[in-house]
Amino acid sequence: MSRVPGHAERGDAGAPAIRLRRLVKHYGRRTALCGIDLAVTGPQIVGVVGPDGAGKTTLLRSLAGLLAVEADEADVLGVDLRGDVTRLKEMLGYVPQVFSLYPELTVHENLSVVARLHMLDRRELERRAMPVLERTGLAPFVDRQAGKLSGGMKQKLAVTCALLPNPRILILDEPTAGVDVVARDQIWAILAERKDQVLILISTSYLEEVAACDRLVYLDEGRVVAVGSPGELCAAVPLELYRAWGDDPRAIARAARALPYVDGARATGRFARIEVWRATSPGATHVLRELGALRAAGVRLAEALPIDLESMLLALSRAGAARGSRAA
Amino acid sequence: MTDDEPIIRAAGITKRFGDFAAVDDVSLRVERGSIFAFLGANGSGKSTTIRMLIGLLTPSAGTIVVDGIDVIRTPRRVRDHIGYMGQRVSLYQGLTLRENVEFYAGLYGLSAVQVDERWGGLRERFDLGDAEREKPEDLPAGVRQRAGLALSTLHRPRVLFLDEPTAGVDVHNRALFWELIQEESDSGVTVFVTTHFLEEADYCDRISFIDAGRLVADAAPAELRRRFSPGYRVAVASASPADAAHAETLLRQRGVPVERTAPQVLVVSASEFDERVQAVLGEIAAALPSVRVSVQQPEMTDVFRELMRAAADRTGKAAA
Repeated sequence: MSRVPGHAERGDAGAPAIRLRRLVKHYGRRTALCGIDLAVTGPQIVGVVGPDGAGKTTLLRSLAGLLAVEADEADVLGVDLRGDVTRLKEMLGYVPQVFSLYPELTVHENLSVVARLHMLDRRELERRAMPVLERTGLAPFVDRQAGKLSGGMKQKLAVTCALLPNPRILILDEPTAGVDVVARDQIWAILAERKDQVLILISTSYLEEVAACDRLVYLDEGRVVAVGSPGELCAAVPLELYRAWGDDPRAIARAARALPYVDGARATGRFARIEVWRATSPGATHVLRELGALRAAGVRLAEALPIDLESMLLALSRAGAARGSRAA
Repeated sequence: MTDDEPIIRAAGITKRFGDFAAVDDVSLRVERGSIFAFLGANGSGKSTTIRMLIGLLTPSAGTIVVDGIDVIRTPRRVRDHIGYMGQRVSLYQGLTLRENVEFYAGLYGLSAVQVDERWGGLRERFDLGDAEREKPEDLPAGVRQRAGLALSTLHRPRVLFLDEPTAGVDVHNRALFWELIQEESDSGVTVFVTTHFLEEADYCDRISFIDAGRLVADAAPAELRRRFSPGYRVAVASASPADAAHAETLLRQRGVPVERTAPQVLVVSASEFDERVQAVLGEIAAALPSVRVSVQQPEMTDVFRELMRAAADRTGKAAA
């Protein structure tokens, strides 16, 4: 495992596809990225996660060669991001947050534009695009104007277009925001199928998509705070997670917060999620007994759970907020 | 009008664009003070329905009453009763958040004293003090969404319509946002909300689901889990074989069907993890401290995958 910040290695070695050392990006007086160290090797799905405003979009745009950056080293597929990035663009697909295809052109025409840019002939275009269009349910809509597609279909088309030239790196900035679960599944099926050939970097707010990544890069305030597989990052959080079931989860959460060792408690539909720092925990048996005894709040059953992605991400964002307030 | 009268009552609403029925004979009842999730795929007719409910679009057929007002006959009258927050938060770029507040307060005819009092409270509760002097385009998505929610409640509406309020918002801000929504609901405001974060459906009292313009489900979350998932699976395990055996006896005595999957592991399968099963398991855990219970709840995401598959099957059959 790679607990060293900035290392997302994978078994099959080779030269890192991405190597950044002290990458910095300023927007005027504001510093969006303040010294990113990151090395990523080989095809895999790398999730770029972190709170809103952490610098995820700026990092992805920098890696796509779209921003002027400063760095000690900024190498993507052998191209220096600080210089001429023309060669990088031939090897890289990029899907930005906002829909950026030609809305007045049809699905097929949009694909043809991409094919022509990359000098693919018609047969090659059909060969590469048709299977994807079939599988994503876009095939019946090839003659529809892209601007008239639903949100999910637009994103499927954007990903299909970005993959058409067989890029070595695919960068996707929140491609599934506002997209329904079936369209999301279809987009992820395409990604899963290509992840042995393409290095995919993706940002997302959906927990099940975070779980589907091979590696996560957690950013906060323009810095890489943690890198590892979802399982590794969860295991590294020194928290215990409990769940207490009853009719009024909000009353349960309030009662749990009053226990001296409870760090946080949150109500969802049928239960409250309760978090306890391992260092100050009196032990699971004790916690379960006391949670189970909150009869006045209506607790019927308490259980201990392994740390999940929700708790992991919240813990990292709390740690970031604590750092911020110390600095202030 | 009485208090148990639903605050939103839509009957048979339909919207045709040419030959295409974007919304087809949809009926909805939303109880006062509840949180109502309105879910569906992209392009299923969600936004069209919301636009009709808030009086921005006239249905081709049907009736809509919101907080006692006939929305079709008097669409403008409903605006003082509702708050709306769209997918793109309606904050004016170039104006600071505070200037946006003044602007909306003017629209709603709030006096300077009323604004100070109302906004003062919202600013505190929504943690927007630092954001007040910023322009919305400079705020992180989570704060911007929170500001949008605060503004949509400025005039103390009875119903909040929130169209994908948490799209693209991080997990921390989503949690905060839902706490605020629950507080609104506790204070008697009705919340009508759409989302693609399906785990958020669990915060809602009722979920309706629209597919290809038609309502295909309208039920409480527990009911949807019962109908569209394999159900709950609860493992009851103990390192002590004697305690495991004791737990098994107690479960059987209390009429809870149980299966032994390993010498010290029992599994309870339940379509609804109801209060009785919870209580029995809670008693066993209290009596036998070596026993650990772990509940596998069907994920709402999977429930909706199943629901959409079922809806697609029906549409396919109808077409065939």
